[in-house]
Amino acid sequence: MKILFKSFITASFFVIGLTASSFAANEWGIDGEEAKELDGTVVDLACELSGNCPDNCGAGKRQLGLLLKDGTLYPVVKGGTNFAGGTEELIGQCGKSVHVDGLLITDPLMTIYFVQRIRSEETGEWSKTKQWGKNWKAANPGKKLGRWFREDPRVAKIVDEGGKLGIPGLVYEEE
Amino acid sequence: MNRYLSDIFLSVVNSLMIKPTRLLPGYFIVIASILSANGAAVSAATSPERVQVTGEIIDTWCYVTEIMGDAQGTAHHLCAVWCAIGGIPVSILGEDGHVYMVLKVESEDANVANPTVVNIQTHKVTVDGDLYERDGVKYLFVNQVADDQGVVNLNHEDYGIIPFGK
Repeated sequence: MKILFKSFITASFFVIGLTASSFAANEWGIDGEEAKELDGTVVDLACELSGNCPDNCGAGKRQLGLLLKDGTLYPVVKGGTNFAGGTEELIGQCGKSVHVDGLLITDPLMTIYFVQRIRSEETGEWSKTKQWGKNWKAANPGKKLGRWFREDPRVAKIVDEGGKLGIPGLVYEEE
Repeated sequence: MNRYLSDIFLSVVNSLMIKPTRLLPGYFIVIASILSANGAAVSAATSPERVQVTGEIIDTWCYVTEIMGDAQGTAHHLCAVWCAIGGIPVSILGEDGHVYMVLKVESEDANVANPTVVNIQTHKVTVDGDLYERDGVKYLFVNQVADDQGVVNLNHEDYGIIPFGK
């Protein structure tokens, strides 16, 4: 009876673990999205395609992708910070195998991946993809990360020069 | 003496014959590794197709996912700038309806928040480049921006400014 009970408990934890693991990615309700954990190697997309390969996957200046064991290549276009990509989340793993969690979006236009969590190879712990935000905070002390897109000096410069509509002098007046 | 020289000669011949045989696995591993490394580079780098694309510079994430609706034109310009500066890949929405993810513009290899690309968000351009297609994605390496018409898709009167209205 004890053995049966232990087996039940073990199985329960296993199922809960599997469930938590499988549904940990936040779903966004995007057409063609699938919450999906992936094992792959972090690669520089331009290098993988064209053979032009700078050191360290371009040191954060190149778009990155996940190369799966079967040869499938997914571009990682989005990370955990609003309006921010996935390069800074994965650049520390350039050329290495990673286990990630996120949304795979399969659209007729293209297939893309939104990385939301990365699992540490050493500890097995998951961490959210917040590196872009941390880097931005470090570069912009005193400014609010939640409004980075309003407070970033690069954005301000472009808006000053071209306006919010991209045409100097053209202004949208809300009705 | 002749016998002695003959023995030496045979010894040398034997050593030459045996050593390569013994070393074969080592040589084989080294040569195979070199071939494998080159082979990997070659297999990874596929042959591109030379193309000319005309279309609008867009934000890949918002357009493909449609989380901002029809993410193009002046209505979505500000958001496209945010996303490009945030490091989300930039694409060209071609007049043919395809979306081409831009990984290189002329001599500039950087494709994350590249100021050159950020500054032409929403512009209508014609580019010559190399197209690589892989696993459902069209990747474009732009060799030359042949024409830049600036922002011509004026849809803000219909949609306002997306996403926050100002």
